[in-house]
Amino acid sequence: MLNSKTAESVIDHALSLGADFAELFVEKNETNVVSTLSDEVQSVESGINFGIGLRLVYGTKVLYGYTNKTDQDELLRIASVLAAKDLRDPVSTLESFNFNQISDIHPARKILSVDAETESKIAYLMAADRAARAAGEQISQTRGSCMQREQHVEIFNSEGLHTNDKRNYIRSSLTAIASDDGEQATGSWNDGGLLGWEIEAGLNPQHTGEEAARQALVNLTAKPCPSGRMPVIIGNGFGGVIFHEACGHLLETTSVAKKASVFHDQMGEIIASSIVSAVDDGTMANEWGSINIDDEGMPTQRTQLIKDGQLTNFLVDRIGAQQTGFARSGSGRRESYKFAPASRMRNTFIEPGDAKMDDMIASIDKGIYASHMGGGSVQPGTGEFNFAVTEGYYIENGKIQYPVKAATLISTGPKVLKEISMIGQDFSLACGMCGSISGAVPTTVGQATLKVDDILVGGNA
Amino acid sequence: MSTSPVKTANITTAQMAEQVLDQVMSAGATGDLIIDEGETLSLKARDGELEEYKVSSSRIFGLRVIKDGHIGTAYSEAVDADALGSMVGQALNNASFGKVESHENILPNADHLQTDDELLCPQEQVSIEQKIEMTLEIESELTAKDKVKNVPYNGVQDITSQRQIFSSAGLNALTRSRMCAAYAYALAEDGEKNAMQGSSQVSRLFSDLNASTVIDKTHEKCIGLLDGKPVPSKHYDVIFDTECQVSAFGVFAMMFSGKAAKDGINPMRDKIGSAIADSRLTIYDHPLNVDGFGYHLFDAEGTATKKSELVVDGCLQTLIHNSATASYFDTETTGHASRGPRSTLGVNLHQVEIAKGSEDLSTLHSGEYLELTDLTGLHSGANAISGNFSFGASGYLCKDGERIQAVRGITVAGNFYEMLNKISMIGNQQNWDEGRSALMPSIRFSDVAISG
Repeated sequence: MLNSKTAESVIDHALSLGADFAELFVEKNETNVVSTLSDEVQSVESGINFGIGLRLVYGTKVLYGYTNKTDQDELLRIASVLAAKDLRDPVSTLESFNFNQISDIHPARKILSVDAETESKIAYLMAADRAARAAGEQISQTRGSCMQREQHVEIFNSEGLHTNDKRNYIRSSLTAIASDDGEQATGSWNDGGLLGWEIEAGLNPQHTGEEAARQALVNLTAKPCPSGRMPVIIGNGFGGVIFHEACGHLLETTSVAKKASVFHDQMGEIIASSIVSAVDDGTMANEWGSINIDDEGMPTQRTQLIKDGQLTNFLVDRIGAQQTGFARSGSGRRESYKFAPASRMRNTFIEPGDAKMDDMIASIDKGIYASHMGGGSVQPGTGEFNFAVTEGYYIENGKIQYPVKAATLISTGPKVLKEISMIGQDFSLACGMCGSISGAVPTTVGQATLKVDDILVGGNA
Repeated sequence: MSTSPVKTANITTAQMAEQVLDQVMSAGATGDLIIDEGETLSLKARDGELEEYKVSSSRIFGLRVIKDGHIGTAYSEAVDADALGSMVGQALNNASFGKVESHENILPNADHLQTDDELLCPQEQVSIEQKIEMTLEIESELTAKDKVKNVPYNGVQDITSQRQIFSSAGLNALTRSRMCAAYAYALAEDGEKNAMQGSSQVSRLFSDLNASTVIDKTHEKCIGLLDGKPVPSKHYDVIFDTECQVSAFGVFAMMFSGKAAKDGINPMRDKIGSAIADSRLTIYDHPLNVDGFGYHLFDAEGTATKKSELVVDGCLQTLIHNSATASYFDTETTGHASRGPRSTLGVNLHQVEIAKGSEDLSTLHSGEYLELTDLTGLHSGANAISGNFSFGASGYLCKDGERIQAVRGITVAGNFYEMLNKISMIGNQQNWDEGRSALMPSIRFSDVAISG
C-alpha cells in the first residue's frame, strides 16, 4: 500500500533526526454493515478507512502522528514536526527492509472485497427475526446487524521489518425486545470470528432468533434482584468478561509499566485460587480475537498468564518490553492507524475445570446464577471492576428460584480471583469489543461456568 | 454500479463536493455530503518527561444518497478520484437493498451557512513549549502531592475540527470549532489503601486552561476517597455530583429520541403531553447557549436550531426530530438531525439544560444523603429501553452538608424513568459538567437502592 522507497525515506529521515526507533503503520480497511429492524432492511452502510501512522521513539518517549495522505512530503513533514523538540545527532541507522511474508493461520474465503453477500446476510437476519417473533407474541421488535470488515495492514520499521497482513472480520447480532403492559425487556445473541461470510454455514437463524427472544421473555418476567454480598455462579462464554476486567487489563504492560496495576510487582506470586489457570491466545484458528501478527509486526502467540493460581506472564508490547524488561508477547494492538499500539488482550480465557453445574447450584443457600453477562469496566490502579448481568436468577436452598433484573457485580481483581472455588467443564468463547488506550479492538472472552464464593451484587429489591 | 471518477487533483474541497453530488444527481438521485476535517495535538507526561507527543490531520467524506425513496450511505477516508467515485457507487448500490423510506428526503435548503470562527474557533499566540510545560506541570506537581503514587493518565490536547455539509439542493454549511483540554487521573496510596480519581477541564482557548484547577481537584478527589468503605445496603436519598448526573441523563437520552420512537423502542413514544416526572422538573435542549460545547446554530440537515422545551413541570412536551422522523409523526423538525460521515440520519440532543429549582444548598443538603461522585459501568449497566440500571458507585455519606464518611464498593440500582418521579428537591444553582456539555442544578432523589 506504501511504496518501499517512500517508507525508507521517511524512516531514514526520522533516524537522521535522532530517533532510536521509527515505524510506519499503513492501514486500509473496508467495512460493510447491514442493519435490519424487524422484517425490514434498516440500512446498508459501507466505507473505506485509510491512513498511515508514524511512530518515533526517543528513549521511552513515544511520538505519534497520522495522516490520510500517502505522499512522501507529508510523511516527512509529520516526522519533522514530531521530532522538533527532540532533535539530536543520529543514534541508529536503518537496516535494509527484509520483507517477511507471514503465514496466514486464519484463512478466510467469502471476503468483502470479492462480494459483500448482502442478500445472503439479509436473508439470515430476516429468518432470525421470524424465529424470534414466533417465540412469543410479546416479542415486539428485533434489531439485527451483520458487520464485515477487511483490514489490510503493512508495517515498516527501522530494524528492517517489512511485513503485511490481511484480516477478515465478521460479526452478526440480533436483539429482541419483549413488551408487556408498558414494560420492555431485551435479549440478544451474537457470533463472530476472524473469517469471512463462510461463517454462515455455522449460523442457525432459528437458534439466533429463539435465543434472543428467550432471553427477552425471561427478562420481561424478572423480579428486582436481591443485593448484598453473596456467592455467584457465572455462566460460560461471555461470563469470561469477569476475568477480562478483573485481571486481564491489569496484566497489560500499558498499566504494569506505569505501576498503575495492582499486579505490577507480583510476577511469580500466587494471585488467584489454585484451580485458576488462564491464557491469552492469538493463535486460535479464526477466533474473533485472533491475529496472525500484532500491530507491531510480531507473530502472535499463546501466552499463559496464570498457572494454578501463579502469575506467569504479562501481555507485553514493544514499549512495555522496553519499560519492564519482560519479553514481548505479540500483544501490541491498536484500533487503527489513528492510535499508537499498546499491549492488549486477544482471546483471553480461564481454562476449564471438572466441577458439575448441579453441584455448584446445590452448594448455594442464597446467591445468584448470572447465566449471561453484559460488558464491564475496570480501574487498573485499584483493581475495582464492575460488570452487568443481562440474564440472572436468584438461588435459594440450592435451587434456582426466579429470574432477576438490573444486577451489577462489583469487586476487585485480586479479591475475586481468590474467591473462585469451582470451575465447570462447559467451556466456550464469546466475542466482544474491548476499549482502551489504543482504541477498540476485537477480543474474545471465555470460560466454563464457575462459582465465585463472595461478590457484591447490586440490585434494587 | 459504475460511476465516472471524480477529479481531485488541485481542486478545492467545495469543488470535490460539487463533483461528487453531480455524480449523484446524474444517477437520478439526490444526496448530501459531509466532509469532516481535523487537526489534533495530544501530549502526555510520565516521570517528569514528555511520554507521548501526537499530531494528526484527518479528512473523511460521508455521502447519503436517496434514489427512488431508497437510502444508501458510504464514506471514504481516501479522497483520490477512484476512492470518491467508488464511494458514490457504493452508496447507490447500498440504496438498492433498503426499503422505501418515503419520509426521508433531502431538504429543499439552499442556504449558505457559516458559524463564527472568532467565537467557536478562536486563535491565540501560544507556543508548543507552553503546552508541553503545562503537561509536565500537571504530571509533576500532582505526583508531588501528598499520598500520590503516580499520575498514569494525564495530558493536554488542542483539537481543531471543521465540518462542511453540501447537498444536492444547494446547502453549503460550514462550522469550525476548537477545544483545548487538560486532564489527569492520579493513583493515591496510603498503606494498603488506594484510590484512583481524575478530573478535566475544557476551553476554546488554551490560555483559559488552568493546570492548578486540574491538579487540586484530582488530588482532592483521590484523598477524599482513600478511606472509602461500603455503607449498609438500604434505600438512601441520593445526590449525584454534576459529572455523574450529566452521565446518567446522557445514558437515558434515548427517551427523547423521535427516531427511537419511530423504531418502536422508545418507552416515551406515547407519553407526549403526559406527566413523566416530578412536577418540578423542567428540561430544555439549549443549543444556543454559547458557553457550552454543545453550541450549534444548525443541525446536520442545515435546519436552524432553537431552545426546545422537552419536559415542562414534569410533563413531556415533545420528542426530538429530524425531517424524516418529523414527517413520520406528522410534525415539524425540531432541528435535532444528526449525521456523521459514517452514519445514517439520526437525532441527537445538542446541549441539555435542566431548569434550576427552588432549594438552596442548605435545604438540599439537609439530613442524611449519599453524594455519589463516581459511577462505573455506565455503558454496560443500563438499559435505555427498560430504564433499568445498576452501576458501581463511590462518593460520600453526608449529613447536613458535611461529608461524614467516604463510600466505595457500593452499587446504585433502580429504574431511571421511575426515579424521575422520586425527586425530593431541585437546587437553585446550575452547574456545567467538566466537558461543558450540559447545564444542570443538583437534584436530590429519594428512595434509591444502594448495596454495600
